[in-house]
Amino acid sequence: MIKSKTDKFRLSGLLALLLFLIAVPMLSSSFLITMMIRYMYYGLLTISFAFLASQLGLFSLMVPVSLTICGYIIGLGVLRWNMSIWLAILLGILGSQLFAALCGVMVNKSKGISFLMLTLVISQLVWALSLQWTTVTNGTTGLLDIRFPEYINIFSAQPNVNQYYWTFIVFVLCVALVFLLTRSSYGLRLRGVRDSESRMMALGYHTSTLKWTAFMIANLISAIAGVLYVYNNGMITPDVMTLSSTNKSLISSILGGAGTPLLGSMIGTVIYRTFDVMLSGLTRRYLTLVGLLFLTVVMILPDGITSVAKRFRRGKRHE
Amino acid sequence: MKKLVAILMTVTMFLSAMTGLAMAEDKAHPETPVVVGVTCPYSGFVANLGENLVRGIQLALEVEGRTEDVKLIIEDTELTSELAVTKCESLLKKDNATFIIGSVTGFEGDAQAAWLKDNPDVIFMPGYSATEDMTMRDFSPNMIRAGWTANQVMFDWGAYVAKEIGYKKIISVGADYSYPWGQAAGFAHGFLSNGGEKIEYIWYPEGNTDFNSIMTTLLSRSSEYDAVFLNDGGATVVAFWKAWEQYGLNNVYPQLIGGTNVGDTNVLTEVSDGYVGVMSAGFYADGDPSEANQTFRQKYIEMFDAQPDAVSVQGYDTMRCIIKGLDAVDWKVDDQQAIIDAILALKITDSPRGSFYFDEYHNAVQNVYIKETQIGADGEMVSNIIKTFENVTQFGPYNDLKEGYMSMPRNARDYPPTERDAFMEDLAKYFGQEYVDKLIENGGW
Repeated sequence: MIKSKTDKFRLSGLLALLLFLIAVPMLSSSFLITMMIRYMYYGLLTISFAFLASQLGLFSLMVPVSLTICGYIIGLGVLRWNMSIWLAILLGILGSQLFAALCGVMVNKSKGISFLMLTLVISQLVWALSLQWTTVTNGTTGLLDIRFPEYINIFSAQPNVNQYYWTFIVFVLCVALVFLLTRSSYGLRLRGVRDSESRMMALGYHTSTLKWTAFMIANLISAIAGVLYVYNNGMITPDVMTLSSTNKSLISSILGGAGTPLLGSMIGTVIYRTFDVMLSGLTRRYLTLVGLLFLTVVMILPDGITSVAKRFRRGKRHE
Repeated sequence: MKKLVAILMTVTMFLSAMTGLAMAEDKAHPETPVVVGVTCPYSGFVANLGENLVRGIQLALEVEGRTEDVKLIIEDTELTSELAVTKCESLLKKDNATFIIGSVTGFEGDAQAAWLKDNPDVIFMPGYSATEDMTMRDFSPNMIRAGWTANQVMFDWGAYVAKEIGYKKIISVGADYSYPWGQAAGFAHGFLSNGGEKIEYIWYPEGNTDFNSIMTTLLSRSSEYDAVFLNDGGATVVAFWKAWEQYGLNNVYPQLIGGTNVGDTNVLTEVSDGYVGVMSAGFYADGDPSEANQTFRQKYIEMFDAQPDAVSVQGYDTMRCIIKGLDAVDWKVDDQQAIIDAILALKITDSPRGSFYFDEYHNAVQNVYIKETQIGADGEMVSNIIKTFENVTQFGPYNDLKEGYMSMPRNARDYPPTERDAFMEDLAKYFGQEYVDKLIENGGW
């Protein structure tokens, strides 16, 4: 009885949020739209990180790898090989998934620190490649001025309203995918592996296959974030692949709460990505402020900002 | 002598105070401050460039007495292209900036130039980005560069090295991205057209500070090459110089020559005295004895207790162009085209770097200085002017052959060709065989 009530409450909350998000371009300034778009593609990146972290307990430091590879393939496809953008996107996603599949085989055997180190090495390799293979990647400048065809602008005459809606559609689909996965028996099996891999093996599950598929899903989300990144920025540069770029996803996720792959990731991303644009005009020490906030959250709320709600609920139950 | 200087200075100060007072009376003021956004890195390996850019801008506001009339909003790019663009977006859409002063590196500038194509509602002036295509092949009508292009300041320097110094073969070490490529290309045009035979390139990733393997290569190649051309700036040059001295390359190569930032103040204050004799070329020389430069330096040091460099000068000049442009339209910002026209019509004669004006692609036409590092009167290292080339455009020697020059490929690590014959062959493709024949007959430009 009570459960259905909270469910109803949640459902209506979700609907209200969706309606609000759909209405954003009509209500607000064009700058807020830009910010919202940014939240969405960086949010997907954080979700990619948090999905592995929450479901498998694996902290991957190669979150932006698929984003980068997918972005570069799209850029090369359009600018150098003169192919249609859709084919380029398809190739980008396939290419990044292929790379992820290989990496998955490599990192599958590891966990904890060694997983961290291996993924770090891979991310640094891709970064160095994007920076130094200048004949292909154009070095630090990267690939600029990648344009999508005009005919997809069906929502409005304003370009960034179109960008907003397309990004929003893709974003909602990805979020729905992750939501369903975490609620499915597949998600349950993943969490089983997280809690005790040996028991899951004893129960007859192919834990390495489970881990590999989860790794692929995380990279798929990252690759889709890459498509959105290129679509909205019109460029791909090595600085999406730097260590500090990885750190930003990591910090966003921990800020929001790594245990909650969707809500936590989005809250963390919104906070971090608001700070890095809004605060820097006010003070030059904004990175220090972000650091202080991070420190405070980790000290007071080790499970992130979303754990406030949980604590509150638990407190109520005790009464 | 000192007394005379003191008297002269008092008189000048008195006069400038008088003119200041006179101007204060009939100065037009905007109703609300004009918003000028600045995007620059506060972090990363060129953080000091960002800081100096902002200082130059602040000094210009102070000197012109416009601190009240301009609202300066400074945004950090964290040295990433994505944030460089997002911050422009934020300045334009959130803060309604009339002007944006762009960032300091070539790659950020390229990204911002691509962004500008879709955003005609703001007047964009690069901070220190020197990729030539920003005001050439990717020309936007609302971009004005009171600065320089990487190629522009290198053409004559390459020619000077080949003709006056007489080097035939150069080995070039540089960071691997668009700005150093531009410097290398400009240098190659000057060098190979005027008797130079060959340039070999060693590229390393931007921000690199470990030069051990490069030093070994330089040592082993010393019999083949006449001099080393260092193509980078800031902290990297300091690291390079340390390794250079450790490996004793001073005894192997007669000289280190370099790109624009190699002789800049931010390097000179950090390196050992062995750096004396290093030659470079740029649009500003800190040792320039002109009165405009000396007063600029004095005021800057008074205000910030730090030495200005070329970035500070560009920040200063850019802000002064904005102020003078606004003066011409009585500080009314509604008509963007009128402001752009007013800025383009300016001829600045009292800049610390000499005089400059704008060409039809909105880039500054200015002096290029060949500089040598020497010990100044106060015992500190300065870059003094050896030779001045006046009114150099971004097309350099190809000013009458603009179409041909613009049909050439963009700057890249492997363009133009590095050997004289191949270079000439390539040149003939764009300027015709006749041009090349004449070039060979004259022995250069």
